[in-house]
Amino acid sequence: MTVLATPSAVNRGLERRVRRKGTPAETGSCTLPRVSGLRLVGIKKSYGDNPVVKGVDLDVAPGEFLVMVGPSGCGKTTLLRVIAGLEQVDAGQVLMDGQDLTPLPPRDRDVGMVFQSYALYPHMSVKQNLAFGLELRQVPPAEIDARVAEAAKMLELSHLLDRKPKALSGGQRQRVAMGRVIVRRPRLFLFDEPLSNLDTALRVQMRGELARLHRQLGVTMIYVTHDQVEAMTLATRVAVFNKGVLQQVGPPLELYHRPANTFVATFLGSPSMNLFEARRDGSRFVGQGFALEARGEVTGEVKLGLRPQDLSVAADGPFSGEVEAVERLGFDGYAFLKTAAGPLAARFDGSVPVDVGQQVKVKPLGDVVHLFSADGAKALWHPEARR
Amino acid sequence: MTRLSVLALLMATDGLAAEPLKLWHAYRGGEEQAIEAAVKRYTDKTGVQVELLSVPYDAFSSKLTSAIPHDAGPDVFIFAHERLRQFHRLKVIAPSTGRLDRSKYIKSTVDALEVDGELYGYPLSLKTLALFLNTELVPDAPTTTDDWLKALERTTDPSKPRFGLAYAAGDFYLHAPFVFGFGAKLFDDTTGRATFDTPGMAKSLAFVKGLQDRGFLPQEVSGALVKSLFNEGRAAMVISGPWFTGEIDQAVKYRIVPLPTVTETGLPLMPFLGVEAALVSARTRQPEQAQALAEFLSLGEATALRVNPGRQIPAELAAYELTEVQQDPVISAFKDVAARAVPTPNTLEMAKVWEPMKLALRGVLQGEVAPEAAGQLAERRYRALNRDRPPDAPKLPYAIALVVALAGFAFWRWTKRGPAQAFARRYPEAARGLAWVSPAAVGIFVLIVIPFVWGISLAFFHHDAGEYSFVGLANFTDILTSKGYRVTEPLSFWFTLAVTIAWTFVNVTLHVSIGLALAILLKDPLLKLRGVYRVLLIVPWAVPNYITALMWKGMFHRQFGAINGLLSALGLEPVSWFTQFSTAFAANVITNTWLGFPFMMVVSLGALQSIPQDLYEAAEVDGASKWTQFRRITLPLLKPALLPSVILGCVWTFNMFNIIYLVSGGEPGGATDILVSEAYRWAFQRNEQYGFAAAYAVLIFFVLLGWTRLTRRLTGPEAA
Repeated sequence: MTVLATPSAVNRGLERRVRRKGTPAETGSCTLPRVSGLRLVGIKKSYGDNPVVKGVDLDVAPGEFLVMVGPSGCGKTTLLRVIAGLEQVDAGQVLMDGQDLTPLPPRDRDVGMVFQSYALYPHMSVKQNLAFGLELRQVPPAEIDARVAEAAKMLELSHLLDRKPKALSGGQRQRVAMGRVIVRRPRLFLFDEPLSNLDTALRVQMRGELARLHRQLGVTMIYVTHDQVEAMTLATRVAVFNKGVLQQVGPPLELYHRPANTFVATFLGSPSMNLFEARRDGSRFVGQGFALEARGEVTGEVKLGLRPQDLSVAADGPFSGEVEAVERLGFDGYAFLKTAAGPLAARFDGSVPVDVGQQVKVKPLGDVVHLFSADGAKALWHPEARR
Repeated sequence: MTRLSVLALLMATDGLAAEPLKLWHAYRGGEEQAIEAAVKRYTDKTGVQVELLSVPYDAFSSKLTSAIPHDAGPDVFIFAHERLRQFHRLKVIAPSTGRLDRSKYIKSTVDALEVDGELYGYPLSLKTLALFLNTELVPDAPTTTDDWLKALERTTDPSKPRFGLAYAAGDFYLHAPFVFGFGAKLFDDTTGRATFDTPGMAKSLAFVKGLQDRGFLPQEVSGALVKSLFNEGRAAMVISGPWFTGEIDQAVKYRIVPLPTVTETGLPLMPFLGVEAALVSARTRQPEQAQALAEFLSLGEATALRVNPGRQIPAELAAYELTEVQQDPVISAFKDVAARAVPTPNTLEMAKVWEPMKLALRGVLQGEVAPEAAGQLAERRYRALNRDRPPDAPKLPYAIALVVALAGFAFWRWTKRGPAQAFARRYPEAARGLAWVSPAAVGIFVLIVIPFVWGISLAFFHHDAGEYSFVGLANFTDILTSKGYRVTEPLSFWFTLAVTIAWTFVNVTLHVSIGLALAILLKDPLLKLRGVYRVLLIVPWAVPNYITALMWKGMFHRQFGAINGLLSALGLEPVSWFTQFSTAFAANVITNTWLGFPFMMVVSLGALQSIPQDLYEAAEVDGASKWTQFRRITLPLLKPALLPSVILGCVWTFNMFNIIYLVSGGEPGGATDILVSEAYRWAFQRNEQYGFAAAYAVLIFFVLLGWTRLTRRLTGPEAA
């Protein structure tokens, strides 16, 4: 690996020198030609006796927008910091375009990072914040000005350049934090829950801007969030983590439709997928208080998964129970039932009267059953339409 | 007739029984036993009761001068003759002229008791300087300086090393015999003013410098060094007084002889003579008995008791006929010595000689001044310290200026007043507000406003022996034009100001950089024993600073100090810290840095911990090295917290009296004094020039006022 790394580093140095000497037309251009791929090999990281990342292998293709998602403490932020070089790995390698980044400090990795808190330098104006990274890399002043102006325009910050961060709104600060990365044109963009400090409306707006930015720049981005909506809407691929282990990686809809295990199945989608213990009995799966027709060659004990969206409150159906809570969203809503097999969430039509305390029945809408091994670790069967 | 005499006798005895004579002294140990025994003899003999009171020496003089005028003092007291003139002026002593029999005492001891032609008190004992010979090395007493130099040549042996002579040469008290021996007069015969720039003075300085240059005399000798050299046989001769006998080891064989005669002038080296006398209060109600008691204490049996157990050198001639005295080689030797001694003048002028002479003497011994030029140096210092009284200034123009200034200020305030609004409307609860504020207001008025106004007013006056005269701006102009000395001399305001600014700058720079460096080390949350380090580093701040100052002063001692000990252990030359400006200044700075960094460390630590860690991570990703992070992130973010501390630190350091006064004491020659310590010296060590000192204080105030205005302007926009 080191043999490979050396020529690559030389190339990079050459590339940088060429860039510095580039003509104004080149340097002022909006395109970011350097699109890099990333490979994580066997990354392990512990804090004391507490393993946080337990051996992760992951490939990120050039130009990809990879979202790492998982509950708090799953190791996704640690992994991002490992990529940035802010954490040292206990084992494993971080490779970019084949070059081993593992021994390099953050400043030599040519990555940019947007922090959850934005980490804007409070004593510098927006312009100085944007220019800081370029100054440190001794980019000529004229080029700094050009790049800062370009990024400011892209992010609609042009009228705020002389302000200090504390005179900016949350969304503006967020955009400065992104601008700080954009001006540097790093090979890799890293985002650590960048939208978590914004209110809902702003979050939706910024989500759109991020997606636009990715399209516009075409660079490789790695994005950490615990919000599955961000994951589903932004990602070209989503990596789901739990307890320091990568559960599944793939395009958002693939993960939604064909979750590799019950963790992924329940983590993506809202409300979560319903899971019941069941057993094959002829053409049916039988569980506590229900019996369901299902296809597939799976036999024996299973976990049976049904998305709430694939269920409907109806006059008749295999599930019955008492309504414990109702969420009405207008056009439709979700009923939360207590059934003999366990809690169950099901969609219902806005026109159907459903009230708390009522006994209702629920039926699946066609071939919608997911089957998992009894311990939930492995998917056995997905509905045919979703394969 | 018989009846009358019986009545008179009755009255007299009644009076005696009712009022015993009061005798105050400051003796301790054997001397106290001697006086107690003498008084007992007196009572046994005459039936007169005497009440003895031992007063601590430090408080003795002021207790006498305050108690006697109020008839609360003693009838008789024992004091050294140097204060006679002051006692005379304050009218607390009664003359003994006519009663005292001059022929009974060593002549010089009686001379010492003379003030303006009158004699006061009865001489008891004397203190002066003699030559102590190690008889194994110097069997015969040198009688002339030529003999002496030969003996010094013979006994000095650099290989041992052994010195021919040891004495505290930097002390003018010990140099005075040479001054007189070379024929110089300390005071002008006609005017009584001190004189320094004389051929005799130059010769005396050259002679001593010669002794040192030829290696006969070690450099920078302290009393402790004299003792150890003599006891180890490494000094053949010593110049010292009777107190030295108590410091000599039993094993050392020695003799006490008068100092030799200067071959060139034929005059003996004449030391100063201090005489202790029994003085009679001017306010005693029993003058007869008091005089009788004082005289009794100076003669006969009382003298014998003073020799044993008192171990004092008696002033009475008859004492030297006693077999006990003749067998005592120490006491008997001092009779001859005292015959040549010159009583220390009891004039006010004498008090003004010490500082200039010390300056000249140290300058010569350290090789910075030629002996011929030293007299001029002392003369200039004398003139500077004893400023001529500025002419009285007319009061009217100043009064007018004051009124105009106050009126102008009032007008200015009036034009800047807020919008017209009834007072009661603006402050609806004025009465209650005033009640709350008044205790603090009274405190501020009494503790700050009055002393402030008083101090400023004082700066326009000249003080001389209790009398104040209005001199207008003369004090200020004298200070600012450095009248009487060059701008580059340590006494000059500008020189001192420069030293003060350098002192402040160097200190605050060190405080901040060391404090910040330690704070950065202590900030690391993974550092083990962090709490312990933090406490240890704050300790210097918690110890009262005068204690720290005295500890450091001890550590900087040339001979016994830990720092020179360390240097010698490392094979380096020991440094004589307080003889050069640079090292004395460094010693002060080191001490004050030790005291000052913890404050800056605590402030920095607090400020550092408020900087979010992710700023550093962002900077690291942005490409900043550790140093760049410190320069571009840490420093700018520390600035708001650190700047007020720096300004405060500057003001504190600017006025850091304790360290200067206690560590270097202004040495060498006042060069390391800062403005406050200089002001202190003008007020309390140089002829009580309170007005001049107050003018210094006012100037210090304006310097600091200017500094705070400047820094406020510098930090103003930032703070806003």
